[in-house]
Formats: sequence, structure tokens, C-alpha cells
Amino acid sequence: MTSRRGFLAGLAAAGFAPRTTWASAGAPACLAAARTDTGGYVLCGLSGAGEVLFDIPLPDRGHAAAAHPHRADAVAFARRPGRFAVVVNCVNGAVRARLDAPEGRHFYGHGSFDLDGRYLFTTENDYEAGQGVIGVWDCAEDYRRVGEFASGGVGPHEIKTLPSGALVVANGGIETHPEAGRAKLNIPLMEPNLCYLSTQGQPLETLRLDPALHKNSIRHLDVSGDGLVAVGMQWQGETGQVVPLVFTHRPGEQAVFPDIAPEVYRRMLGYVGSIAINNAGDRLAATSPRGGVVLGTATKPRAGEPALEPYPDVCGVTFGPWGRMVTTGAGQVIGGLAQQPQHYPRLQWDNHLVRI
Amino acid sequence: MKKLCTLFLALILPVSASADTALVDRVISNHVIPRFQTLARTTAQLAETAAQTCDLDNGQVISDYHAAFDAWVGVSHLRFGPTEVDDRAFALAFWPDPRSKTPKALYKMISEEDPVIQLPANYSQASIAVRGFYAMEYLLFDAPTRELGHGEYQCALFQAMTQDTAAISQDILDDWQPDYAALMLSAGQNERYQTEKEAVQEFFKAALTGFQFTKDTRIARPLGTFDKPRPNRAEARRSGRSLRNVVLATEASLDLARRLGRGDETIQSRFDRLEHVFTTAVAKLESPVFADVMDPQSRVKVEVVQQSVDRLLEYTLGGLGPYLGVAEGFNALDGD
Repeated sequence: MTSRRGFLAGLAAAGFAPRTTWASAGAPACLAAARTDTGGYVLCGLSGAGEVLFDIPLPDRGHAAAAHPHRADAVAFARRPGRFAVVVNCVNGAVRARLDAPEGRHFYGHGSFDLDGRYLFTTENDYEAGQGVIGVWDCAEDYRRVGEFASGGVGPHEIKTLPSGALVVANGGIETHPEAGRAKLNIPLMEPNLCYLSTQGQPLETLRLDPALHKNSIRHLDVSGDGLVAVGMQWQGETGQVVPLVFTHRPGEQAVFPDIAPEVYRRMLGYVGSIAINNAGDRLAATSPRGGVVLGTATKPRAGEPALEPYPDVCGVTFGPWGRMVTTGAGQVIGGLAQQPQHYPRLQWDNHLVRI
Repeated sequence: MKKLCTLFLALILPVSASADTALVDRVISNHVIPRFQTLARTTAQLAETAAQTCDLDNGQVISDYHAAFDAWVGVSHLRFGPTEVDDRAFALAFWPDPRSKTPKALYKMISEEDPVIQLPANYSQASIAVRGFYAMEYLLFDAPTRELGHGEYQCALFQAMTQDTAAISQDILDDWQPDYAALMLSAGQNERYQTEKEAVQEFFKAALTGFQFTKDTRIARPLGTFDKPRPNRAEARRSGRSLRNVVLATEASLDLARRLGRGDETIQSRFDRLEHVFTTAVAKLESPVFADVMDPQSRVKVEVVQQSVDRLLEYTLGGLGPYLGVAEGFNALDGD
């Protein structure tokens, strides 16, 4: 007699495995990595109410994750200068594939899938050349590396896919080299940019800010439903100098800076750890773990007062149909559908909260 | 029991606000200013000696160079405020340089006899890679660089570098006193330091990042991996200063950390023990330029030095930080 388990195994062996979609993983709203109180690391799926639906052990400290658009696959990146990433099946926790950075490359900790989920794009450092690279991995072939192209700058950090299918890359401008640890090698000379690329690697458009802001590292990104890009920056110049830390941009247009008073930016200590924009593109939120604050603002100038909310060691932030959600290094999940903040005393949430 | 009492006292007597400013005052007067004075004095001395001789092997030139470099390493953890204006610290110390920008830029400069050296004031316009102690080291100690171009050009170049370095060092000192010192002492009443605690935290972070840079860069670069040790990547190996820089940098961060924890016996005795572990580990190294990393048996000794710096870092973070009330969060410390 054929047991159910044996029957399923037989199906899988014959290539008839039922597709494992996000619904079969409990329909999580977003993903976040965390450190546990025993010193281990996990990748968690969170509901829109901030409940942990699953937790999957990771081999090392995670930075960000990339969620496949349909399949319940999450790519968890080690923090930079990481040389590997793992693709986990969020239904059963199994490691589907392991991505190893090729010789002479390391990951920066972010990646994005194309619209139909065939290819994964990862930000990487070609450190002997001091140039940013986007690695291309084929999901249909167990995440085999199938190519790479220039990121259009130095130190690419976050990458996102636009509704048009194009890629947008935050080239932070900071040169690092694995043998120099996390030391920043070129601060006086850095030139960050926001670069739009086709999925074949053709540069479509590059945005640079005013030269006076050349030490403002363009680092984190999010994209609204109609393709408005929200950008979060990290100031590498003199500490205490107050500079704008967020803007929005649409290809072919100028950068738009929301109305934020210097005293508001001052409390963010020159540092945005994560940024999110809502689907409608009219609200953005940026976190500063150093300042322990979340900035909430309209994306357009003169569209209402920005608000700063204090949360110690806050970092992850995202918007969804359930509203805005943030996570903190103290184990809090705030917002979403929940009336009250959820507290997970055993978990320290890591930098990013990734919407699925 | 004694430990318990200390803990209890710490709970009921939190360091008060005015105590924070008094602490900052002592650190500025006894740690920051004397060290930047030494840097200004020794770099001026080097420029003066260089102006008097074109013999780059001259004993006085070499000893003045070492004295000035020692002084720089002794302040290299104080990377905020005056050192960051106009990229001064980068202009004094462009390292690490994994893609060899300094030798490449020097080669070009000397081969083309770049006239930027003709007026000392112009040298501040030169590429950051050809300024400061690491560029000077090529002129003094690197045979292939010494063979390039004409002797007169090399001499004039070295003079320009030493004058530039002296001018930057004096500018840093002039910015520290009285202006930047006054800014830190008026913490809580200015924009830059909005609470008195923030000024303490600035020094705490300086000690932390000093230990971290020594561990992750000064020591980790030559260590490389077990299969691929990289002694050629040791800091200032041409002048034989790699280990000396590790020792001076660690002592400088430790001096700052101790001053921040002054008054607490547990912290002081813990730092004493950790310093002993560090100096014992250093004494076992034979090579001043970390050539030990090549041999699996002596390589372990370099790893032990690295671990001893890591223990200083960890204790500063976990022991001194909470005592000062300036602990850094999981994400805040990460910086990514």
C-alpha cells in the first residue's frame, strides 16, 4: 500500500511536486532576519499583524532577504562582505540552493527578482577593480549563476525591480575591499548614484545629486506601485552636518526632496538604515537605528508635517495593504494590523523587513 | 561581594550630567590635546629637517619620520570633528590602499615631474593618495620608487609632503583648541552634541572604532586566510612599522577607554588584565612586519594578538559602554 508520504515523494521524484507558493507557507506578509537569544540566526515570515508564522535557521547573520514573486523561496544574504546566500523553501525550511559569490566578488546583502521570477539579481563587489557588479542567477536552473554586468557605480547596495521590469540600483559610492575589513577606502573621492538598468544590463539612466552631497551615500531603496523610487542615504561627511537623507525619483524626472526641517534630519544622525514607500507613492517612511527614530512623511513637498516617532534601535520598515510595519533590534514589531506592538523578547530583528 | 557592591553603587548612583562634562573635560585636556600637540610638533620638526637636507637616508630624517608617524598612530582613533574637516585625516593617512593608488599616483607624479610641488601651498590640491605618511614611506623606503625620476624632484616632493603634513596637523590642533573643545564642553547646549551624554558617546565610539580598525584591518590584512596569508599587505611594512602601529594604536584606544572608565575599579582592573594579555601576546611575535603569518605555527601567535585586541573591543562594548550609559544597539552599531 502506498503511504501518503511515499506517494508525495514519488511525485516529487517524477518532477510533479505541487508548486510551493507563498499561500502554502501561511501567506506571510513580509520576511525579516533576526538573531535569537541563543546566538543563532533565523529568517522569519511575519503576518500583516506582526505574528511570526515560521522561523527557519540561517547559517550566519543575515542582512536582507529577497522574496520570489510567486514561489515560497526566500534568498537570505549574509551581511557584507558575505560570500554566500541561501535560498530557503519557506514551506518546509529546506535549503533549496546555495549561492556562492564567484572568485573576486562578494555580496553586499541585497537582491531582487525580475517580474516573472525567472532571474535573481544580486549586488556585488568586484573588489580588485573597485567596481560594482550585478550578478544574475537563473531560478529555473537551481539558481545557477548565468552572468553579471556592471552596476554603473561603486559599492552597489540595495537593488529593486520596477513595475516596468527595469532594475534600479543604489550605488553607494563607497569602495571597500574584503582584506581591509569594513574600512571605507575612498570617502574623499566617493561619487554615489542611482542607476537604472535593463535586466540585460544596459544602463538606462543615472541620477547624481549635487556635488556638495557627494559624501551622501545612496544606499536604500523602495518602489511604489507605479514605479516611484524612494531613496534613503547615509552621510559620510563631517558628523553633525545636517543634510537631506531621503528623496524620491521617477525615471526621466528630477529628484524630489520632501519638506523635512533640519532639526528633524538632525535627529536621524545622518543615517537611514531602511526606507519604504507605500503602494500609492504618497507616503514614505525611513528608519534611523542610530537616532532611534522613524521618519514618516508625505513624498511631495508641502503635503503635511513630517512626523518622527522614537523606537530604540529601530531598523526594518515596510508598507503593505495592512499599513506600515517596523521592526527593532529590541524584538518589537510595530504597526500593521495589530493594535498593540508585538514583542518577541527572544529575537533581535536585523536591518530589513522585506514585503512579499 | 566587592563586585556586588560596585554593581549596587552603579545602580543607585548613575553618572550625573555634570559628571559627564567633567569627564569630557579631563579626556580633552589629558588625552586629546597633548596627543595632537605631539602630532603638530613632530610633523613640524620633520618638515624642518626635510627642508635642510635632500638626503632621504639621513638618520635625522628617518627618526623624525618615525616620531611623527608614531604621533599620528597615537591619534588615529580620534576620527571626528577637526580630523574630518577637508578630509584631513585621509590626507595624513591614506591606508588601507588595496588597489595601490598611492604607488600608482606617485609613479605618475614623479615620471611626469608634476609641478604641483613647486609651491608648498599647492600640495594640498594634490591627490589624497600622494599625501601623508604612507606616501612619504614610499619615498623613504621603497627601492623602485626611489629609482624613479630625478633626485631633485624627489627631494622637492618630500619637502612638499612634509610641509603639507605639518600644516594639516597644526590645523587640526588649532581647530581643537579652543573651538572644538568648547563645543564638546558645551554639550547639551549646542546642535552638534544635543545632550552631555553625546559628547561622552563620541569618545566611547572613538575607542571602539580604534580597537576595531586595529583588529579588522591592521592585523587582519596581513593574516589573510590560513591558505593565503598576506604579509605584503601589512601596514607600513616598508618602514618596518606594522607591529609598532598595532601596539601604539591599541595603547592609544586603551588609554582613552581607561580614562572614560576612571573611578571604577572593576573596569580598571579588567583593562589591566586585558592589557597584560595583549602585551604578552605581542612579546611572542618575532617579526615587526607580521612575516610570522607565513608559518602555520607562528601564525597562531598573530591570531592570539588579534584575539587580545578583540577582547579589549568586546569589553569596551559590553563593560565600559553600560557603565557610561552609552550602549549601542544591535542595528545602530552595525552600519549597513
